[in-house]
Amino acid sequence: MFTLVVGGSASGKSAYAESLVLQSERLPRYYIAAMQPFDDECRARIARHRKMRADKQFQTIERYTGLSGLVLPERGDVLLECLGNLAANELYDPAGAGIHALEAIVDGIDALLPQCGDLVVVSNEVCADGGGYSEETEAYRRLLAGANRALAERADRVCEVVCALPYYYKDRGRGV
Amino acid sequence: MIFITGPLYSGKRAYACQALGCSMDGLADRAVWDVQDLARDCGDLEALADRLAEREAVIATEIGGGVVPIDAGERGAREAAGRLSCLLSQRAERVVRVFCGLPLELKGGGV
Repeated sequence: MFTLVVGGSASGKSAYAESLVLQSERLPRYYIAAMQPFDDECRARIARHRKMRADKQFQTIERYTGLSGLVLPERGDVLLECLGNLAANELYDPAGAGIHALEAIVDGIDALLPQCGDLVVVSNEVCADGGGYSEETEAYRRLLAGANRALAERADRVCEVVCALPYYYKDRGRGV
Repeated sequence: MIFITGPLYSGKRAYACQALGCSMDGLADRAVWDVQDLARDCGDLEALADRLAEREAVIATEIGGGVVPIDAGERGAREAAGRLSCLLSQRAERVVRVFCGLPLELKGGGV
């Protein structure tokens, strides 16, 4: 089962996504972290989250770019967080795919899916405020929105989390 | 008329093509999009909505989700865009919000 969980900042999407992975009660369970530790604030946040997830038996895999080259140690359930970071890394990081960022992300998900039991991908909605941003930021917004649409098409379930509550736009299990 | 709204880059025109059964090249003959830009400096939003409602599909990008702009002109334009969407929604047989390419029926369409 592939679920795409989308939400705004601090909407409760991460906690909801984690709860979806914990539902299966299977092991191993992997957490693919896309956030790069740029400074001490990031490092402290990552260390705290790593500890929290270790208690829930997640093995953390840090992967900032090139998701299609990732081979999981064994088949398992996967929580990938988050597409917003992965998109920024692919677009802006020297190690990223640059103008081919969308293909890199979509190919990465296609390569990951057969290695997973359940896959839950967390993403952001950043396009509901009209814009007026620089062309560089617009390129990022187009990329993330394109990745969201491509993944939503592939996913079995797509939900938006609002105030920690999920609203399902698509749910193959329930015919929505 | 079907009124289609949603965030920027969410797949609204692709959905319109699907709903009307036409190609992206043929969409301009059947539908009008980016109508949020027409609301700016429009003296009569009701008349604009009436005129737009004659098309088979009208598409507006949601622009009201961020911080209220400091600039009075931008603030007014955003307000007008939101009001135009409400007026179009009243005139539409169907209202659909597209999110990540997926349609949510807000009005009509058997809901």
